[in-house]
Amino acid sequence: MKDLFRAYSGSWFKGFLILLSGTLILFFCLVFAGLILWPDPHSLIQALTSEEILFAIWLSLTTSLVSTGICAIVALPVAYALSRYRFFSSGLMGLIISLPLSLPPLVAGIALLIFFGPSVFGTFLQDIGIDIVYTTTAIIVAQFFVNVPYLIRVMRSAFDSVNPRYEHVARTLGASESGVFFQVSLPMSRQALLAGLTITWSKAMGEFGAVLLLAGATRMKTETLPIALYLNIATGDLDLAIASATILLVISVVTLLIFEHWFGTRRII
Amino acid sequence: MPLEIRFLSKTLGDFHLRDVNLTIKDNEYFIILGPSGAGKTILLETIAGIHCPDAGSILLDGVDITNVPARMRNIGMVYQDYMLFPHLTIEKNIGFGLKQQGLSGELIHKSVQEISELLGISHLLQRSPDTLSGGEQQRVALARALVIRPRVLLLDEPLSALDAITRRKMRNKLARLPSLTGISIIHITHHAEDLISLGHRSAVMDGGFIVQVGHPDEIFQNPKTPFVAAFTGMENLFSGVARESHEGKIIVAESVRIHAVSSLNGPVLFGIRSEDLIFSREPLKSSARNVLKATVTKIRIMGSLAWVMVDCGLSLTGVLTIQSLFDLKIDDGDTVYITFKASAVTVFPADE
Repeated sequence: MKDLFRAYSGSWFKGFLILLSGTLILFFCLVFAGLILWPDPHSLIQALTSEEILFAIWLSLTTSLVSTGICAIVALPVAYALSRYRFFSSGLMGLIISLPLSLPPLVAGIALLIFFGPSVFGTFLQDIGIDIVYTTTAIIVAQFFVNVPYLIRVMRSAFDSVNPRYEHVARTLGASESGVFFQVSLPMSRQALLAGLTITWSKAMGEFGAVLLLAGATRMKTETLPIALYLNIATGDLDLAIASATILLVISVVTLLIFEHWFGTRRII
Repeated sequence: MPLEIRFLSKTLGDFHLRDVNLTIKDNEYFIILGPSGAGKTILLETIAGIHCPDAGSILLDGVDITNVPARMRNIGMVYQDYMLFPHLTIEKNIGFGLKQQGLSGELIHKSVQEISELLGISHLLQRSPDTLSGGEQQRVALARALVIRPRVLLLDEPLSALDAITRRKMRNKLARLPSLTGISIIHITHHAEDLISLGHRSAVMDGGFIVQVGHPDEIFQNPKTPFVAAFTGMENLFSGVARESHEGKIIVAESVRIHAVSSLNGPVLFGIRSEDLIFSREPLKSSARNVLKATVTKIRIMGSLAWVMVDCGLSLTGVLTIQSLFDLKIDDGDTVYITFKASAVTVFPADE
């Protein structure tokens, strides 16, 4: 009797958990499907091919690719240094690269705004004729600032997982420090690099808070896809807002698939 | 004298090297024996130039290379787990060192072919490391280290990851390398068996110190410390008190009197090899000074040998062939006589 009860309570519990998971998945699917199905297909296509959305796509693509490139150039050496060497600021650096996990991008945005705006440095830049705030460059700066810690984090954990003995062997075979990095450590972390770059790019495409504060939301000037979504929802232009949202959603799904493909079930963030 | 190590010390985490002095001769196959954690791998890595020593110096052909970077030392290293670059083919793995020297692709290809034929791995060149067996991976790792013609080759536990048959084959191959290639080899291991079967000059390492250097026979016959004795398989180790008597040197342990040959007096440690114990049913009349009456407590049969544990006040372990065990009809609880020579007792000062 007791055993029977245990078996029943076991399957009851299991059934409940599976039902709960199923309901949640259904809820997610309904919400996203609802978004795409809300406007009639004709006006969605029209919105997607409107000048404003095409501009937003183009601006988002170029800025995110440039910022991802800069992220890679900076993050790779820094991540390698953090993984392999102990130096005076490595502990502090470890904290800093964890910060964006909890820091709202809006806060990063306002800090950047002060730094490039009224601060001594910002005033100096303006004096020598470099304007960052409310320009296309600001978009790249904001995306870089928010994303580079992520990429450093991903790459550091990738470098950490390369057994240093591979590098020792390479050195006994005559490889220089940079030779070891380019011929052993980096190629052995190739998968993490590809996955990291994909997720960095996707985050850059979707970056809103920091971009809004540093680059502003000027129609047809600093209007990336998330900004387009924001501007059009503010003016009640639902079709255009949903068009940008749809593109962002598709990018997220594709990124996720690529990430899962390269990284499988390994969790690195 | 290709390699001289002088007063080398290094601390790395929990591992230490303490005042290591070693000289490796030309074409020598030198074995360093020690338990895990003795600092063997650190020693190799410091010789290779991976770590900078805290103190001491390393000389190669009379030139101080203590501060020369690893890539310019011309000292090769093969790790226990081979460390083949997983993103490169076998050919690229072996050619890695030549590529660093900026040689032409054609020249690299030729050298890789040569060394691969020597080691019997030519058929593997286009494969990827993860498709190779342990023995194949090891030969590739050796080829990769040898192809740049190092002055000294360091082998970190080269045999312990292999199965018994491959291990025996590989051991013979390795032993021939110095005469075949003209390099010196340092081989570290925690198997005393490697010491016996390779049979070259060896050192025993413990707690970061080199505790004994010599030929394996010498190390086995005449261990300098109780650690070396225990590590080289001396089963019977006891502490006792040594003193002179009218019968010569006597060691008293647990009220058992043992005859020994030693100049030591007072508290000592002493050991007797299992194979030096002679078993008999009746007291033996012989020149051997020690005859002890004992009770058999346990018999453990392994292959053609039987390990017999007896209690004579001390718990001794002896080894017999199965044939002798049956001839003597020795069984649990039987009374037997144990005979061994005074000179079979190795005595150490009990300073630790």
